[in-house]
Amino acid sequence: MSNDQQPVVVCEAVARTFGAGPAAVVAVHGVSCRVPQNARIALTGTSGSGKSTLLHLLAGLDFPTAGTITWPAIGDRGALRPGPVAIVFQGPSLMPSLDVLENVCLPPLLAGAGEAVSLQEAEAALERLGLGRLLHALPEELSGGQAQRVAVARALVGAPQLLLADEPTGQLDHVAGALVIDALVDTADHLGAALVISTHDPEIAERLPTRWCMSDGRLLTESRDQVAVGTA
Amino acid sequence: MPAMIWLRGLLRRRPGRTLAVAAGVAASVALLASIGAFLSVSKSTMTRRAAQGVPVDWQVEGQAGSKPADLLAAVKAASGVQAALPVGFASTTGLEATTGGTTQTTGPGVVLGIPASYAATFPGEIRNLVGTPQGVLVAQQTAANLHVKPGDTITIGRAGMRAARVRVDGVVELPKADSLFQKVGAPVGSQPSAPPDNVLLLPDATWHATFDPLATTRADLVRTQIHARLDHNLPGDPSAAFSSVTGRARNLEVTLAGSGLVGNNLGAVLDAARKDALYAQVLFLFLGLPGAVLAGLLTAAVAAAGADRRRQEQAILRARGATNRRLVGLATVEAVLAATVGGIAGLAIAWLVGHAAFGSGSFGATPGAAATWIVGAAIVGFVIAVLTVAVPAWRDARHQTVAAGRAAIGRATSPRWQRWGLDIICLAASAVVYWLTGRNGYQLVLVPEGVSAISVSYWAFAGPALLWVGAGLFTWRLADLFLSRGRPIMRRILRPIAGDLSSTVASSMSRERRALGRALALVALSVIFAASTAVFNATYQQQSGVDARLTNGADVTVTESPGANVPPSFATKLASVKGVKSVEPVQHRFAYVGADLQDLYGVRTDSIVNAGRLQNAYFQGGTAKGLMKELSARPDGILVSAETAKDFQLKLGDEFRLRLVDGRTKQARSVVFHYVGQAKEFPTAPKDSFMIANSSYVAKATGSDAVGAFLIETSGSSPSTVAAGVRSVVGPNAPVTDLQTSRRVVGSSLTAVDLAGLTKVELGFALVFAGGSAALLLVLGFAERRRSFAIAGALGARRRHLGAFVWSESGYVAVGGLLAGALVGWVLSNMLIKVLTGVFDPAPAAAAVPWAYLGSLTALILAAIVIAAATVLRRIRRQALTSMRGL
Ligand SMILES: Nc1ncnc2c1ncn2[C@@H]1O[C@H](COP(=O)(O)OP(=O)(O)OP(=O)(O)O)[C@@H](O)[C@H]1O
Ligand SMILES: [Mg+2]
Repeated sequence: MSNDQQPVVVCEAVARTFGAGPAAVVAVHGVSCRVPQNARIALTGTSGSGKSTLLHLLAGLDFPTAGTITWPAIGDRGALRPGPVAIVFQGPSLMPSLDVLENVCLPPLLAGAGEAVSLQEAEAALERLGLGRLLHALPEELSGGQAQRVAVARALVGAPQLLLADEPTGQLDHVAGALVIDALVDTADHLGAALVISTHDPEIAERLPTRWCMSDGRLLTESRDQVAVGTA
Repeated sequence: MPAMIWLRGLLRRRPGRTLAVAAGVAASVALLASIGAFLSVSKSTMTRRAAQGVPVDWQVEGQAGSKPADLLAAVKAASGVQAALPVGFASTTGLEATTGGTTQTTGPGVVLGIPASYAATFPGEIRNLVGTPQGVLVAQQTAANLHVKPGDTITIGRAGMRAARVRVDGVVELPKADSLFQKVGAPVGSQPSAPPDNVLLLPDATWHATFDPLATTRADLVRTQIHARLDHNLPGDPSAAFSSVTGRARNLEVTLAGSGLVGNNLGAVLDAARKDALYAQVLFLFLGLPGAVLAGLLTAAVAAAGADRRRQEQAILRARGATNRRLVGLATVEAVLAATVGGIAGLAIAWLVGHAAFGSGSFGATPGAAATWIVGAAIVGFVIAVLTVAVPAWRDARHQTVAAGRAAIGRATSPRWQRWGLDIICLAASAVVYWLTGRNGYQLVLVPEGVSAISVSYWAFAGPALLWVGAGLFTWRLADLFLSRGRPIMRRILRPIAGDLSSTVASSMSRERRALGRALALVALSVIFAASTAVFNATYQQQSGVDARLTNGADVTVTESPGANVPPSFATKLASVKGVKSVEPVQHRFAYVGADLQDLYGVRTDSIVNAGRLQNAYFQGGTAKGLMKELSARPDGILVSAETAKDFQLKLGDEFRLRLVDGRTKQARSVVFHYVGQAKEFPTAPKDSFMIANSSYVAKATGSDAVGAFLIETSGSSPSTVAAGVRSVVGPNAPVTDLQTSRRVVGSSLTAVDLAGLTKVELGFALVFAGGSAALLLVLGFAERRRSFAIAGALGARRRHLGAFVWSESGYVAVGGLLAGALVGWVLSNMLIKVLTGVFDPAPAAAAVPWAYLGSLTALILAAIVIAAATVLRRIRRQALTSMRGL
């Protein structure tokens, strides 16, 4: 059903409000956007502006309180996982009772790739992020940056059509950060996947052709090739 | 006050943990206090039963020179005495009777002088079998020896005087002959070994007419006792009742100033009862204490499940400037709160349980005992709360490091007890204690010679207790070892449940082995507790049934009077009574073994094993079936008691001569038997010494096939109903007794205490603990790992993937816990039964297995785990997508 021209994600007038009444927090508000199949998007914005919330909505992990989200190139919400959508979380997200290799193996295993294939892919991804020597370390034995790179490796295995990364370089130095971005972009190129990276780092934002900016839950654009960004 | 503010905050935000600790405290307090309530009830029951079985409480014997009238007045005036009557005791040189053309004579005997109101004043002392209950009465065995029946004449020999003649009015049984003919004032060791063989009872006027003349010449042959009945409104505790009764007896003796001695029958029975009560106490404590410990362990596990969050909370408080002292203080306040709420709830539950199960909410036989139980139970609850809440907080405060917070998962080194081998030490110590107890013949209740205090060897319980603890820890060690080393096996086992995820699940479980091992060990401990309590209780019930059956003989027993000459063919008539399944005739004769008179039972070897439900434990040196086979192979074979075999130095196959009364000539004649084995117990037989032989041989040798008793098996209908039917067939001459009635009457032995109430309570608690521990630990374990499951969900784990984790872990805990629990439970049950041998009478041949209870226990645990796992799975699915914050 997927057509080469179809966007991966389409948001229409999406809002996400936490809580209710006077204590309600509007994290995302009136966002309409489309992510085409070969998009390379940098999502910037101040802390608390709603980047993570938007990424979770795009990943189908969270539900909008208003508006609609569709994934035309993938299918309905149930088809997003395991496989088509991969996300790197901002916080620690490794399963504490599994070692590095097992954590990275999990998505392909869940997708039914079989043990041998999963192991091979996972090792390759870890190797690529310079983690070849940490295959059997436990999450609690990793530094924050190492854990973040493992999470990135985990997003790279399988064959995602949409790669979402929430500040994947937040805890990394420049060299390691560049390595992570390279890996993400290369993988997206290789798979023909759409890539959205949220970041505070202007250098990283600079590397991606499209830049979206969030402010107070609204999505503003400063992009060169306009992709239907607007406020409703 | 910051403590109050913080506490209020804690209770408002997370009341779960404090409530869980309070619930754990409540469970253990309720269990202990329920046991206290049960003990108090059963002790009063013991006192009541013991006192009920004593018709004549005191036999006061006048010493040389005292006047019977003065003695009677003194006894009547003594505190607590409700009724007192004089009884004459005179020695006869022998009795003689001529019946059916032959003359029978007996050796020396005793002639009692009984007031007319005696039977009514002391019901149960004299049981009328044949004829009228008043007038001249002959004891059953004497009637058999003399072949007399009502209407016949007996000649009474008097030393140095002409014999006297009396006409028999009735035949009686003297159920309390041992105490009736005691040597008053003599210590236990120098009491006569058996009551006199020949006893005649005369109305007191006749007795005085017969023996007053003898008293003037031979005062040593004639004496008077005052028999007294006491007020049986005694203290509930047998020990207190014993002290009260012995105190009164001593007072009376002091008042009598040497002119009389008190034979304290009631005191003797209460003495036995207080020993039994002590047994009961240790027994119930022993069965109940592990339950309380278990409740404590579960509470600790629950409290520990929230440990990580509590540490974070403490870290925040510390960052805000709280000192360690303050933190520990706050935890202590929380512990006290949980202990108070839990303690009050526990006592309330115990009170309700006591009312529902035992019909009493009192916690002790005396106010002191009640206070002890209440305070004791409350202290245990308090200790549990402090150990589970305050102590961990104190430990955290001392070793607050980042590493400590991580120790729960992964490559953490084995816990200290494992490195020290505490489990192995416990198991070894248990074996040593058990061996030592066995060497002492499992003597638990010690009655030192010459001391009135009795004591319990509590340390014998260290054997089973250490086994329980050691086995629990060892199970944990094994569970741990299996998860860390047995990953390849685990992977293979999990393949059907987890599919491609099997190695991932196996790895994850291996890293979670600390928590999983603890859950498995706790399930195992509760299964062991439930199983061993159930097996012990079942065995106890079985043995009290065996006891009643041994006493009564069968479901329903017809005892024929001596001389009634009922042939075995009468069995067919009995068999036609509604509800009768089978009827087994058993001969009963008296036989002289040397100078000693013993009971001889003639049996049909091919049917008695089933009809009499003979157990292997009744015999020595062979099985019941085997020895009966030997008897049938050797028609003149005989089984005798161990004592007789020793006295006559019998070896298998030795000739053994008995003197038996010939049914035709009514004369005693010598009959040759051959010794083939030993018997310890036999239905209706006395406990000390008796013999068993082939009925056909006894019939041939004595020319009579008269039956002594018919053992009747019922087909499902209640024995007392069948007994009524049988009674209408046999008439008034042969007493008909049934199992239910005799079960109620069986003496003061501990087996007479009805454990049903305690069984219900303990087994109920055990079920709750077992089911609760399994479910609770799983739910808490998964709740702790909510984040992990949320991550898996975000990565695309479906229901079956999450199920692979949840079901594998649940299955591991359930199967491992049940297997270990069943195995250790079996060992522990047998050890308990061995250690508590003294409680059983007779000793069990094998433990009784309550399959129904064990089946429901297993079903309950599995159901609890399945429900817990399913609930967890549903909640994970619901939360998975929404709890992504912080990821
Ligand atoms: N579960 C929640 N409950 C209540 N408020 C929330 C929740 N999640 C997010 N918010 C609020 O929504 C707003 C947006 O949060 P979000 O995490 O999307 O910001 P962000 O742009 O990713 O910030 P940062 O750069 O610091 O990561 C914030 O004000 C936050 O407090
Ligand atoms: Mg964010």
